[in-house]
Amino acid sequence: MNFPIVEFPWFGNGNIVALIAIIHVLISHGVAIGATAIVVSTEYYAMQTKNAKLDQLAKQMTKWIVIITTTIGAMTGVGIWLSTMVIQPDSIGSLLRIFFWAWVTEWVIFIGEVVLLLIYYYTWEKWKEGRKKQKHLNIGITLSIFSWLTMAIITGILAAKLTPGRWMETLSFWNAFFNPTYLPSLAFRTFLAVTLTISLFTIFVRLFVKDEDVRPQLFRIFSIWGAISLPATFVFGLWYLKSIPEQAAKLIVWSTGLPEQTFNVLNIFAFVLIVVFLAWLVIRPKKLPIVLALAMFVSAIGFIGEFEVVRESVRKPYIIYNYMYVNGITKAKAEAMNREGYLAHSTIAKVKEITDENKLEAGREIYLGQCLACHTIDGWRSKRALANRLDGWSQETIKSFIPNMHNVRPMMPPFVGTEEELEALAAYLYKVVNEQN
Amino acid sequence: MHVLQLAIPPDFPLPIPGNLSLLEFLIVLTFLLHIVFVNLTISLANGAIALEGVGMIKKSKRLDDMARICSFHASVHKSIAVVLGVAPLLIISVIYTQYFYTSTLLIGKAWLSIIILLITSFLLLYLYKFSWEKWENKKGLHFIVGLIASAILLFIPFIFIVNIVSMLYPEKWETANGFFHSIVHYPQIWQRYAHFILASLAAGGFYMYFYFTWKQKKQTLSDVEQTLKIGGVKVTFWITLLQLVFGSLLLMSFRRDVMLLFMGDDLLLTTLLLTSILLTIVLCALLYVAMKKDTPKWFYASIACFVLIVALMGWMRHEVREAYLQPYMDEYPRTFDVQKENVQPIK
Repeated sequence: MNFPIVEFPWFGNGNIVALIAIIHVLISHGVAIGATAIVVSTEYYAMQTKNAKLDQLAKQMTKWIVIITTTIGAMTGVGIWLSTMVIQPDSIGSLLRIFFWAWVTEWVIFIGEVVLLLIYYYTWEKWKEGRKKQKHLNIGITLSIFSWLTMAIITGILAAKLTPGRWMETLSFWNAFFNPTYLPSLAFRTFLAVTLTISLFTIFVRLFVKDEDVRPQLFRIFSIWGAISLPATFVFGLWYLKSIPEQAAKLIVWSTGLPEQTFNVLNIFAFVLIVVFLAWLVIRPKKLPIVLALAMFVSAIGFIGEFEVVRESVRKPYIIYNYMYVNGITKAKAEAMNREGYLAHSTIAKVKEITDENKLEAGREIYLGQCLACHTIDGWRSKRALANRLDGWSQETIKSFIPNMHNVRPMMPPFVGTEEELEALAAYLYKVVNEQN
Repeated sequence: MHVLQLAIPPDFPLPIPGNLSLLEFLIVLTFLLHIVFVNLTISLANGAIALEGVGMIKKSKRLDDMARICSFHASVHKSIAVVLGVAPLLIISVIYTQYFYTSTLLIGKAWLSIIILLITSFLLLYLYKFSWEKWENKKGLHFIVGLIASAILLFIPFIFIVNIVSMLYPEKWETANGFFHSIVHYPQIWQRYAHFILASLAAGGFYMYFYFTWKQKKQTLSDVEQTLKIGGVKVTFWITLLQLVFGSLLLMSFRRDVMLLFMGDDLLLTTLLLTSILLTIVLCALLYVAMKKDTPKWFYASIACFVLIVALMGWMRHEVREAYLQPYMDEYPRTFDVQKENVQPIK
């Protein structure tokens, strides 16, 4: 606990990052990466078939890509970082030290992506004919490659948090970047992006593209992409799943918060839905029901929410596997903290030595440092709210559970600190839980 | 100086990933690139609503057209400003971790609000730009949309300024109480804000001069464009003169020993400051000529002057931070070599 703590007692600290991340993945994958590829291929098809209406539709979609990616997309991207600085400073700070040059490279590509996107949109009418049109299309193709490259770099960093591979021994950047889940997760995300675009955009095309000639043509392009991307997402998804650590795989269902049966039913239903949806796009593009398009839109958002929550949660009890626990304590420091005291090692702790008078204050500081990353006292997610989890527990029971909790619940990091600190934490938790109830 | 009791955390056990001088050079360079586009976004968005507002009162189509041009440029530059901001934020996070993370967390919720504020402002800027014709008969509404977007853009710099000023004052962290309190708690905030907003106006004016002079080389300017060009020169001229006053006020708000570094105690820093003042006067003279006679003759000289001034400002800004943090650096060392015992658990 070396930095000041910011607390979101109702919403929960972890949920802040999750919310921003989910919105960002929807936009970065579904709009910046997938939609760009589909728009450029639409422009190409329109050019080949001299179809001016389809060309205009591609331009219209690009306008929305510009609006969404340069506002919500860009700001949630930066926002993940701004928010992790506030919520998990130790983790993001360490990742920056390891992956700094990867981030710098990504930044350079990101600038290219935004500049190309602006050029692509604003020159649409200017570069309309012959060679100039070809040039315009080439800008679009380059843009697609750039937007994929930004993902290809960020995925290395994200995957390393779950599977840092040989980095723990070698501390080598390359070992961390090209880690065991890098390729499977990149392949999975690549095709997921396209599948996501189709799922998200169809409802808007269905509702707002009034022209009955051009709409089925665009759906045709969607379905061709879908025929490639859906099976690929599925296959690479399985590869990704197989490559994550066994302990993490065990936590998948748990991390969604759903009973196993509901989890299975929902996911199978979503899969069947998307197969039906794609089949419909192929067979009867002119008569796509609005309800089906809407269901697809909603389940796509649901799936990304699920994917992000699972990806973040299966790492537990770590935030960087085998290196740093989810509450920012490093495995290497834990031993010294057990010996010398957690608070003694915390820059911002006001209590360094525990007395009867400051016991509760000390307990609160330990709660903020070690529990807040996942828990609230009385927040809206009842499974994470201690007022709910510890309801009816005696102070003694709390005290005897805490040192063993990581054995009983493998997603929880071990308690770190001295006997007095354990006592203080138990006293504090007992007090606040009983005040709430 | 007594620094033992401060809440400056130890640095991470993982090393700073690169040569420090290189990273310092990069932070100055990338910050300047970023801030120039921020300057343009703020001044052109606010310029647009000012022109539109006056145009509405005077019922002037010309002013409305000028406003529209400004809004178009503002909405393009804001996208560039955001992406360019990533690099300086990356670098400040890795080389000043102990100070910058703490100052950020002290205003954590205000810091997070940047995300919502900027998304709102940017979306409104698009609405403002794309609805210009559609809302011709709803001018009031159109103006309000632009006004909210621009007002947000005028507010956000406070959050950044509080953060980067706060990181210079670890001895004041203990008594700081959230973002709004911090605005009055730390010295320099208002001086920096005024200096920054004036710089934005000057940069916006100069951009108009630059853009339309460049365009003029390829085609004849319309009447509106010509007015914007000369208007840009005028704005830059007067604001830059004012900056001599506001720059001095900022200098006087520094801790005394830091201020004196620029006033003779340090040869390099004093030279930098004097050169920047000299160049500012030269720029004003060049702009004065451009204002009186519409000639592209001194165009490149004024660009060179402008770029040099901006570069010197960025360099001095960095030196100010280094000077402030110097007393703490030995006591709270940064990690340059990996502390293996703190990274790899004992087996």
